[in-house]
Amino acid sequence: MDETIKLEIRNMTKLYKNGDGVKNINLKVRKGELMTLLGPSGCGKTTILRTIGGFLQCNAGEILIDGKNIVAMPPEKRPTAMVFQSYNLWPHMTVYDNLAFGLKLRKIPKPEIAERIADALKLVKMEGMEKKYPNQMSGGQQQRVAIARSLLLKPEVLLLDEPFSALDAKIRMQMREELRKIQTDLDITVVFVTHDQEEAMALSDVTVVMNKGSVEQIGSPYEIYHHPASRYVADFIGEMNFIEAKLGVHTAIRPENITVRKGPGGDLDGTVRNIMMLGHYTEMIVDTELGLIKAFLSGGEAEEFVRGEAVSLYFSETKEFSE
Amino acid sequence: MGQAKETWKKTLLIVAMLAPALLITIGIVIYPIINTVINSFVDAETGAPTLRYYTYLFTDELARDHIVYTLWIAVLTVAISMILAYLLALYLRFSDTKISKTIGTLYLLPRFIPNLVTIYAVMTIVRDSGLINRIFMAFGVNFKPGLLFNSKGVIMMNVIFNIPFATMIIVAALSGISESIVESARDVGASRFRVFFQMILPLSFKDVMIAMVFIFMSNISSFTTPYLIGRNHPLLLGVYLRKTFANREYNLAAAISVVIFLFSAVSAFVYLYTNLKEKDWESRAPQ
Repeated sequence: MDETIKLEIRNMTKLYKNGDGVKNINLKVRKGELMTLLGPSGCGKTTILRTIGGFLQCNAGEILIDGKNIVAMPPEKRPTAMVFQSYNLWPHMTVYDNLAFGLKLRKIPKPEIAERIADALKLVKMEGMEKKYPNQMSGGQQQRVAIARSLLLKPEVLLLDEPFSALDAKIRMQMREELRKIQTDLDITVVFVTHDQEEAMALSDVTVVMNKGSVEQIGSPYEIYHHPASRYVADFIGEMNFIEAKLGVHTAIRPENITVRKGPGGDLDGTVRNIMMLGHYTEMIVDTELGLIKAFLSGGEAEEFVRGEAVSLYFSETKEFSE
Repeated sequence: MGQAKETWKKTLLIVAMLAPALLITIGIVIYPIINTVINSFVDAETGAPTLRYYTYLFTDELARDHIVYTLWIAVLTVAISMILAYLLALYLRFSDTKISKTIGTLYLLPRFIPNLVTIYAVMTIVRDSGLINRIFMAFGVNFKPGLLFNSKGVIMMNVIFNIPFATMIIVAALSGISESIVESARDVGASRFRVFFQMILPLSFKDVMIAMVFIFMSNISSFTTPYLIGRNHPLLLGVYLRKTFANREYNLAAAISVVIFLFSAVSAFVYLYTNLKEKDWESRAPQ
């Protein structure tokens, strides 16, 4: 991957009247990279995205694209394009007009507009939909057109604000894959906001985990999953057991890093409370003196155990967080 | 057979339940209308069918002045009210300040004050010896607003009365336009000016038409305002109707009523047309 920094946010602060907002944000996105901002609602991820797009004015700090500070520019002057959560398309315009609007503003000749629109629709697999109105399409189709519309303007940075959250699970997965493909094919820089950790894991080169207006951890999905920097990140990403063996020190163990054996003598002993078959793996809940522990077993392993049986747990990878 | 009987019974029940409302409507609305229409075509002296009242209304110079004047006042009222109401609605929708919120709660209040009260209140302020004049007098200037007993005053009052209603309709339309529609337009490079003319205006056009029709209809037959602060000639049709009635020219009055009714009917048609005609983009398709 290219090492040039495409987008940089320096010491950015944006506070709302009620005191919420984000403080001292520093981020660097390299060219061609897909960065996700991940966190629960109200953590400030959308605030950051909207300050990049120019829909919010930041109180302090700089936002640089290719080294140029864009903080003073209105949205229409910024080299960014944004895809919103929903109601992206202008309802009174056909797909063609929706796509042509920005190009017409740039005074691009008509034949070229038509050509570029045809290419863009092909890219998002929506050929032949030019004459449809937004209300004649499904939510997924509308978001495809919205993405095409943003790509047409060849933005330096593409911003996506939970674009798939209103779609049903299957379409969401499909859109995710296609977005990733388009992004790598065109080598565009993307900032993607989501509250869905699975989506963040699947899409990102770099994930920024956010909590209450500040950054908790920045890293690749692998780093964030296997080396969470804080208890918050460990808890937010994936499944995690926390046990307090010593006062004030919490040990975190992922359910897949637990081996279950019959009888006592493990890192922790307990009795089987519940066994749930979840497709290719089985979830086992073990009742221990330090609380309930969740373990993932492969299908075959789980068959040896019954409810109420005494078992021992062996931890292969743990991490400690002190309070 | 049994099923047919059921249906028949049901129909009878529906008719029975609708009958009182229907009879009242026929009695106090439809019968007078028919009666008026008939009277307008009947010669008062001979009782023979005639078109003389209509011929008079549309050919006599003085009578024609009234009709043209009425249309002129109604159109101006609609235009000025809509422009001001649209600006106010835009401000209420897109500004997020304390002032806009306060105006947002207060702007409908004038609707709850009886028209007559408002007219007299405004008169005490704007008449040539009124509050405005007194304030100027205090500075030694004898300024007379000159807003009473002429068209300016009537239009001003009409605008005052219609702004709250028009604003209410447009605010509702504008709040139906989601923020992301405006933002995505700005995002692709549209100026505020363009966002207004290519997004906001087309998306609220239907409601603007509806508000215009209502304002036009209520002003084509307005009476109180022009009666109290209008001029003596030409008259608005409402005042002219009363004058004719007072002169016991009942059949001419009937013809004037029919003319007013026709103007309203045209606007009602425009209303129905804009409301019923659904453009492709407005229909609700299954998602």
